[in-house]
Amino acid sequence: MAEDMSIESYLAAGGVLTNPTNVSARYRAELMKLMTTFVDSELAGAAGFADVINAGPGIKERIAAAKIVLEKTDNADKVLKIMGEFGVDGDRYANHHPWTARLARDADIGASRTEQDMRLAVFNYPLQGWADAVVMNLLMGRAVAVQMAEFSMVSYQPLAEAFRAIAPVEARHAELAEEGVAKLAEAGDNSALQASVDYWWPRVAASFGSGESAKADSLKAMGLRKTPNAELKTRWEAETKAVLDKLGLQAK
Amino acid sequence: MARFQDLEVTDVHKTIRDAVVVTLKPVNGAAEEFDFTQGQYLTFRRDFDGDELRRSYSICAGKDDGILQVGIKRVDGGAFSTWANEDLKVGDTLQAMSPMGGFFTPLDAANDKTYLGFAGGSGITPVLSIIKTTLTREPQSSFTLIYANKGVNTIMFREELEDLKNTYMGRFNVIHVLETDAQEIDLFTGLVTEEKCAELFKTGWIDIESVDTAFICGPEPMMLGIAAALRTAGLNDGQIKFELFASGQPGCAKKPAVSKDAASGTNQATAAITLDGATQTVEMAKDVTILDAALGNKMDAPFACKAGVCSTCRCRVLEGEVDMVANHALEDYEVEKGYVLSCQSYPVTDNVVVDYDQ
Repeated sequence: MAEDMSIESYLAAGGVLTNPTNVSARYRAELMKLMTTFVDSELAGAAGFADVINAGPGIKERIAAAKIVLEKTDNADKVLKIMGEFGVDGDRYANHHPWTARLARDADIGASRTEQDMRLAVFNYPLQGWADAVVMNLLMGRAVAVQMAEFSMVSYQPLAEAFRAIAPVEARHAELAEEGVAKLAEAGDNSALQASVDYWWPRVAASFGSGESAKADSLKAMGLRKTPNAELKTRWEAETKAVLDKLGLQAK
Repeated sequence: MARFQDLEVTDVHKTIRDAVVVTLKPVNGAAEEFDFTQGQYLTFRRDFDGDELRRSYSICAGKDDGILQVGIKRVDGGAFSTWANEDLKVGDTLQAMSPMGGFFTPLDAANDKTYLGFAGGSGITPVLSIIKTTLTREPQSSFTLIYANKGVNTIMFREELEDLKNTYMGRFNVIHVLETDAQEIDLFTGLVTEEKCAELFKTGWIDIESVDTAFICGPEPMMLGIAAALRTAGLNDGQIKFELFASGQPGCAKKPAVSKDAASGTNQATAAITLDGATQTVEMAKDVTILDAALGNKMDAPFACKAGVCSTCRCRVLEGEVDMVANHALEDYEVEKGYVLSCQSYPVTDNVVVDYDQ
């Protein structure tokens, strides 16, 4: 039996890795970046949303917000466990950074990360009250759905499985956000909602990364990416515009 | 974090000429930590000439066998597997971490499922654990195994599989595909390739339509071929479980050469940094981390937390010496091999050579 295939050609042919001893140093590094980006974004997202729970106008809204905080933290934990198999001390990791920290509302950081953590840039902006939080959660929730579909196919099987389990949970968060925005829209608060959409739309869009990434080819060869950033962004724009349209809101 | 525990070897026996089955018993009350799920593996560590080696071997016992057992096939030039096959004896102590791995699906006594397993050579070990456990715990489920080997005399657990066939008549079936030994049915000779799988599905040897989950453990080309055939037959990624034991890491390597008088006391150092196959030599101050020096010279070095916690920025020091001021992610054995967290490492010697590709 031909057993002399290199891991690189195996991955390029669509092969799947299953445990930490399979991975090469460069694959490990890219995989860790992918995982820390997800974990940091979930922890920062949950931390930011936690502050908004009490702003929920009714008990149903507060329950939904608390559930989202709980489940995003749990999703982070699922991926943190996989990082643990690579030697990361999950307890220490979860506490090594102040996840509630935010920049100013008008900070202009584009898609760049801060020095201290790997959260997507969008999670560095502060939420302003309930309606703003729900709008952000709707736009970002739709983005996460697109990202999860992509990352459920990564070549590291334990992570792909974690994302497949996480995807429906995150999808539900986007649904809850949509219900929340619909309720606010019914109450006739459209200009504030539209202002939030205007604020968050370009920032969520930036979280898909730049149109052309020098890394894209090597990530593709490693099976860590399949679809170009621009294509994912276009998908998100189309899907989310349709949702906003239903709600009487516009993407600019 | 990884924690190793002692296991006592209570039995060692050959299953074929160059593979042993080792039975282990947790000591010091660690039984609970070795409670496994079918299909998981154990990672062992042992010192070979002052160099710690870690190797993972799948558990071949079923959940209800009441024992902890792994199969170890000797690999040419493999220090650990050769030692296990030639020198390991009853009464010895091995050190292993708690069982790990996700090569399984949850079992339920109410399930009425059809499972398909593919094993190549020693890839049978986790699949055997899954087969035994599934047949015991899901009385209505059935399992078909396609087992690829070179020849009859290299089939691990051949008798055990025959026994299982007799015990679970009608629920368990094995198809041996042999590379070199001719069989009555032509289809069962050769390699288990994508085409071979397609033939097995087409000719009705396997009713692929009814398969709920497929497990594959074997060499890379075999896994690729089988997965492709399964996807073509309509299975989705969630229905295909893989286990791969290839190593993407270099084996034993020399520790970094350190010259004691190479530090001049000046603040300047020269660092040769290898990333993605290219090496760049940079001049840097000794109060700058290796990572920042790489980033400052437009190298796309990997990092995430920059706090010594996540280990994304790991690299290997090949020459010279660095001072790693914090380390919450690398284990001692990695540090001994010269791995450092580049976000926490400052040059000590005037020349350092580091590699992100190892």
